[in-house]
Amino acid sequence: MADFLFELGVEEIPAPAVSGIRDQLRDLFSARLAQLAISHGDIECAASNRRLMVHITRLPEKTANKEETVLGPTKRIALDSRGLPTVALKKFCEFNHVKFSDVVEIETAKGVYLGLVRIAGGEETAELIRAFIPEILSALTFGKTMVWNGSRQPFIRPIRNILALFSNKLLAVEFAGIKSANRAVGHLLMSDSFFEVNSFKDYVQGLVKNFIILKEDERKNKIMGEIRDIELELDGRVGIDDGLLDYYVFSNEYPVAFSGTFDSKYLSLPEEIITTFMTQEKKLMPVYDRAGKLVNAFVGVANIPDENKKVSRGNEKVIRATFEDAQFFWDMDRKLDFFSLKPLLKNVMFQKELGTFLEKVERLASLVDFLVNETRNGPLRETLHKAACHCKNDLLTKMVREFPSLQGIMGGLYLKEAGEEKSVWKAVYGHYQPRGLVKEKLDDLGAGILSIADRMDNIAGFVNKGIKISSSKDPYGIRRDANAIIKIIVDFELVLDLGPLIRLAVLNFSKNDADLQRDCETIQGFFLSRLENSLKDFWQFRYDVVNAVLDKSTLAIYDIYLKAAALTQLSESGLVEPLSSLQRRLKNIGKGFARCNFSEGLLKEKEEKILSDVFKESKPRIDALIIHKNYLQASSEILEMKPIIDRFFDKILVMDENVAVRQNRIALLQSFDELLSGVADFSLLVELKPGEKI
Amino acid sequence: MSIQNVILKLQEFWAERGCYIASGYDNEVGAGTMSPDTFFRVLGKKPWRAAYWQPARRPDDGRYGQNPNRVQKHNQFQVILKPVPSEGQMLFLDSLIYLGVDISIHDIKFDEDNWASPSLGAWGVGWQVMCDGLEITQFTYFQQAGGLELNPNTLEITYGVERLAMFLDGQNNVYDLDWGNGVSYGALKLEEERQFSIYNFETADIDMLRGVFQHYQREAERLLEHQLYMPAYDYLLKCSHAFNMLDARKAVSVAERTALMGIMRNLSARIAQKYVMQTEGEKNG
Repeated sequence: MADFLFELGVEEIPAPAVSGIRDQLRDLFSARLAQLAISHGDIECAASNRRLMVHITRLPEKTANKEETVLGPTKRIALDSRGLPTVALKKFCEFNHVKFSDVVEIETAKGVYLGLVRIAGGEETAELIRAFIPEILSALTFGKTMVWNGSRQPFIRPIRNILALFSNKLLAVEFAGIKSANRAVGHLLMSDSFFEVNSFKDYVQGLVKNFIILKEDERKNKIMGEIRDIELELDGRVGIDDGLLDYYVFSNEYPVAFSGTFDSKYLSLPEEIITTFMTQEKKLMPVYDRAGKLVNAFVGVANIPDENKKVSRGNEKVIRATFEDAQFFWDMDRKLDFFSLKPLLKNVMFQKELGTFLEKVERLASLVDFLVNETRNGPLRETLHKAACHCKNDLLTKMVREFPSLQGIMGGLYLKEAGEEKSVWKAVYGHYQPRGLVKEKLDDLGAGILSIADRMDNIAGFVNKGIKISSSKDPYGIRRDANAIIKIIVDFELVLDLGPLIRLAVLNFSKNDADLQRDCETIQGFFLSRLENSLKDFWQFRYDVVNAVLDKSTLAIYDIYLKAAALTQLSESGLVEPLSSLQRRLKNIGKGFARCNFSEGLLKEKEEKILSDVFKESKPRIDALIIHKNYLQASSEILEMKPIIDRFFDKILVMDENVAVRQNRIALLQSFDELLSGVADFSLLVELKPGEKI
Repeated sequence: MSIQNVILKLQEFWAERGCYIASGYDNEVGAGTMSPDTFFRVLGKKPWRAAYWQPARRPDDGRYGQNPNRVQKHNQFQVILKPVPSEGQMLFLDSLIYLGVDISIHDIKFDEDNWASPSLGAWGVGWQVMCDGLEITQFTYFQQAGGLELNPNTLEITYGVERLAMFLDGQNNVYDLDWGNGVSYGALKLEEERQFSIYNFETADIDMLRGVFQHYQREAERLLEHQLYMPAYDYLLKCSHAFNMLDARKAVSVAERTALMGIMRNLSARIAQKYVMQTEGEKNG
């Protein structure tokens, strides 16, 4: 058994791209080995910003032998009337480099063919792998590629080294003008450019000796451990951001956490500004005291040990300059009359073809008005009108031009500085929240409503301009907008059917009725699929529960969410199965019959009369429960009637000879089906055996 | 280390590695890239190695002399290596060592930063080089200039001279730097920064700037008709600076920005084509 070691040395790959490339590499190797029927043990892949490593164990020296049949032409075509080879057979032999005498008859279901039976396999694994490495490397895909040498081979960054060892022997590989060699790239700062590698053991030892921690989780654990130490030392808590942590893991081969401090005068800047400048501009993490208050310290990660505190001191200087910049933007922006900026939004493009932000802000007024009415938040009307009017003014500030991610937040802060009421500035502050489906619960209703208006306007505009929203890419963030709208509605328990809002938003863009109709349908379909996804993936409802509560005719999102929650609760108390079997039975019997009302005059038997009485008595109560969205209670009450319905089924023959009686009984049962459907289509729930889980 | 020593050392280092030491361009430019020693020479097939010190103007970066490391006119040291050497990163690290940086105790990172200049129809892929969190250099593999694909590619290394000097000198404030032989950066530049910040942000005559942009544009176009692509390029640079001034004055509307950028991109493409046609002959035209 042999092993194969591959390492591609690349100049610094952008940190966010590294793990994706590593996964592609694993998939490509695995697929090629499978295709060539090469058996193997583990495929270990690891990557940093400077190297991509693949190590495959338990490879055979040669591929396994197997009998292989190659079909040629049919016997009738292959041989002429005298039994001599035709052109067809000659070509076949030429193509396969065989003589006529090698050809045999092969019986198949379709008749007799001439062809070859030969022993395949037994090929040198090393040679097969050597040959497919360039193919794999060309098959890698990147967000953005470049060329750098005469090979004109596009790649993410220049390749500097190729190491390919099979059973400790170098495979001669060439890609992008680079020839393989018995070496791996060293650490950028702490070792020579390359170190020699003649075996996997060499490689592992060489990594250690050259300060390269190849495994991602080892790097992560090292960073986390050191951050914990710093927290103890500072008696505080480091604000760890997952994105930043990933950045550290994939931009350092020997990560070392360090800390530093800054002049506490900068703490007078708003916290949002301090943390944004720290994390986004300088890739440093903020530190909080035990009470959660920001302190004048930061934590970062270097690629080398910082024994002389050089790295820490250097970063302290840099962060000071950065805060000076922040202070400059903050001071300059506050000199502006924030309220008077709106007309200047005519100079800020919202999106090509969708006009300027001034036009957008003007569209928001009617959407906000509509939302306030629909969700019965009349008292918020004036607040939200003001907020909508000024919500994009911050696009004209230096701060947001420098840090677009602060949009909204800065608008809120500048309004606050200008003495605006809290409800108004909070609405502007939070109207870009949430950034999709996030765990945190939202806390400002005004911001939520403004956000729905703003995002629905985005969606309507982009869909009207023909932006496809079905594809996996989401360049305009429409999917995130839709997810955010769903999250806001659920968080604030908004009673809102999106249909009319969609129509209103689309009306701002569509030129004619046909466009209007088309765009509304597209957006409704899109929201239905987003809703389905978010219920399943984000709120983790069972898929059959989601199917049971989704109703194509409505986008009353909070309603649907509550129904899913009720069904889940019923299911957990074991009450959903009886309802599900009941509705299945009701649906089966009513299948193929038009829905009609039952008439009491046609009821003959005791059991059907009882059932009818029960129905009449309970329907108003259950309807009321449904109107009040008490789906749990409504379902329970229906469930209470089950024995009476069962008894009806036991005693009454629905399919009476008399057509009118039969029709009436079906109608009676249909009424119950309809009652249940007011909550959900329970018949779509999957029957679970005891102890079984979905 | 003083500013002048940083420049002298870099000149020495790159001269020894085959670069011709050019003078900085005598026209307002936003970056060393805009000097003809880069813009024209990255086009076409001919190998080229040049290094030069280039003052660069970015009106919007003015801070009235109040910020410790941001100024509206800073100094770049530009290195152009065509074709791309395979050991480019190592050459760069060697230059830092030559300047006296102990790379084993400083955190030097190549941090993704792709560069694009829409008005020059140019873009490249590369990094900003960070040293203990301070951006000291832009390191770029040129992919396109004047709208033309580059083959061979060029490696461009742009050092920020003030940043490097601050780092080497352990200074916190750019104005405390020694330019050379006891002349301080502050004595040389503080008043200049203050006056130009006021001019760039508050006083520049917007109508005049719009007017000269048009004059420069027409002159560039006229010169192109006479096949004088080099003077035409000078006027493109003047357009670019007028545009940057208008931008610092917040006087450029959306529609105008698109239009002005389009004008400059178009001019740079025509200039690049004329250059390639003349220097490489008909086959590349």
